[in-house]
Amino acid sequence: MSESTPVSTANNSTTATPDPVVPDKPPNYKVISDDDLYRHSSQYRFWSFTKDNLKQKRLETNSRATQKIEEDMKKFIGSQTLTNDELNITSTKAIPLTMEEELKLVNFYTQKVKVISQHLNLPTEVTATAIVFFKKFFIENSVMEFDPKELVHTTIFLACKSENYFISVDSFARKAKSSREAILKYEFTLLESLKFSLLLHHPYKPLHGFFLDIQNVLHDKVDLNHMGRIYDACRKRITESLLTDIIYHFTPPQITLAILLIEDEQLITKYLEIKFTGDENSHNIQLDKLLAIINSCKEMILSPDVVPTQDAKVIAAKNYYVQHPMVLINKYRKKREGQESTAEPPEKRLKTD
Amino acid sequence: MEYSKEKKVGEGTYAVVYVGTQRSTNRQIAIKEIKTSEFKDGLDMSAIREVKYLQELNHPNVISLIDIFMAYDNLNLVLEFLPSDLEVIIKDRNILFTPGDIKAWMLMTLRGIHHIHRNFVLHRDLKPNNLLLSPDGMIKIADFGLARIMPGPRETLTSNVVTRWYRAPELLFGAQHYTYAIDIWSIGIIFAELMLRIPYLPGQDDVSQMEVTFRALGTPTDKDWPEVSSFPSYNKLQIYPPPSKDEFRKRFIAAPESALDLMNGMLTMNPHKRWDSSQCLQSVYFTELPPPSNPEDMKNFLKK
Repeated sequence: MSESTPVSTANNSTTATPDPVVPDKPPNYKVISDDDLYRHSSQYRFWSFTKDNLKQKRLETNSRATQKIEEDMKKFIGSQTLTNDELNITSTKAIPLTMEEELKLVNFYTQKVKVISQHLNLPTEVTATAIVFFKKFFIENSVMEFDPKELVHTTIFLACKSENYFISVDSFARKAKSSREAILKYEFTLLESLKFSLLLHHPYKPLHGFFLDIQNVLHDKVDLNHMGRIYDACRKRITESLLTDIIYHFTPPQITLAILLIEDEQLITKYLEIKFTGDENSHNIQLDKLLAIINSCKEMILSPDVVPTQDAKVIAAKNYYVQHPMVLINKYRKKREGQESTAEPPEKRLKTD
Repeated sequence: MEYSKEKKVGEGTYAVVYVGTQRSTNRQIAIKEIKTSEFKDGLDMSAIREVKYLQELNHPNVISLIDIFMAYDNLNLVLEFLPSDLEVIIKDRNILFTPGDIKAWMLMTLRGIHHIHRNFVLHRDLKPNNLLLSPDGMIKIADFGLARIMPGPRETLTSNVVTRWYRAPELLFGAQHYTYAIDIWSIGIIFAELMLRIPYLPGQDDVSQMEVTFRALGTPTDKDWPEVSSFPSYNKLQIYPPPSKDEFRKRFIAAPESALDLMNGMLTMNPHKRWDSSQCLQSVYFTELPPPSNPEDMKNFLKK
């Protein structure tokens, strides 16, 4: 060690013996925990909400779209000469969707995103990312602004690229029976709506971590075949769970524990007890608090919003008419003409006679 | 417009870079305009990676992404303005730098990569040209066009990453599984280059890169890297003995022992034994004298 203190660092004048080997911790010294890192992720910063926040966001999106639709409707009615019956029909059948209806339609199409991704044999992570991207797009945008049908392939294609699973747009279009133009049309809009936040922390990695740690903590007490079965079942369940709103409210390890709990409550409870009570607990985690969080996550996972095709069709039709009221009017007019023409046959018959 | 584009400063395969100003703060910025019209597959993979990882990484030694916006169907990344890079400095014969300067650059680079690795990201293209320098003398790791998240245990990776001279032996062997250790290797080579002022292992092509690497550092054997001989390209290799400490000392004349230890740690053949970013940062090299230079005092390197 050199004894001469460099002239340029004459700042330690108060310390008698400057020791360059063990530098003092700076005043703002702080250990960055893994939780801190998660809080810095865009997933947490941009896409984590309380339930009220999330509902508020969806209501805002819905009311923005509704306002626009109502203005368009006013213009439409002003530009057409409509009979009272026709006005009546528009005001009862061409009405904007509610936030709840929108959500149902989105959930219905999210299920489609999942099925199509799996049908295309995409890796699990790509499917998961596509599901999450799609749902997020329709928090920022209304189904009355963008037809969800048009975003299904766009989302899956961007998910492929974002998860490093590159397929050319042409071969993707061939496989998905779509076109290049349709797939790329809203790619930018999608990226923008995602707030350029592409890195998703899916629960598959924490699952692998817990899977190893459970064997470590409960060694000799777990059957490996059983663990293998649980692992596979959990992976499937994770993908399924992404159809709900859990990712906005819980962290990936919390979701993973909830899913493990659904799969084998006894085993996981035992694991958590050993892990987070007594001498083993070096994590500063309170078990009862943790269990409460995991259980509320579990509840959300176990009550998914499964939308029957028939319900989705009704909402989609409503969505279509409110954006294309003329179609509704024409349909009505045609129907009336039809009724009139069924009243006419005698005359016609007369003519032909 | 919040940002002005003033001067075109570079053009790559997928982007044009401009220097400009952020109007609200009047600070200099760089705008990377991603050419989208030329990509028939929509948004380019490199652009996607860059957005994806820069969005997550917030550290004094990683280039910071200030904003992203769309204009005329182009994606624009607003980045902090970084006037120089280590390649320029190493090549400029008029610039003299001290051991303290090298130490400061290594320290900042390792702090940056430590943060990147803690976020589960592999950079996969570290080289002097991608270590940029800010106006206040800070190192900023840039160019995340090849970056990716650490894969799951069953995923395979492409070994066709990292610019040749900075490529770790496992990549030269064509490994389909590798770790953060590939980035540490690159930094080890950059460390050597900073001391030598010339590229340390300049292979002409992929085959010669192996030759150059193993002649300088010894051919790895199953003894210190179990099963290395099972890589398909291994049996064509000439077996060189690892260099002695003395040979190292001769090659890096001015380097203190602690610097050679750190370099050896980073240039360990077996990726499992290679030092990780924490080990590197805790190396004696950083705590013994001379202290790393103060970045503020290294600003004069940036003057043209």
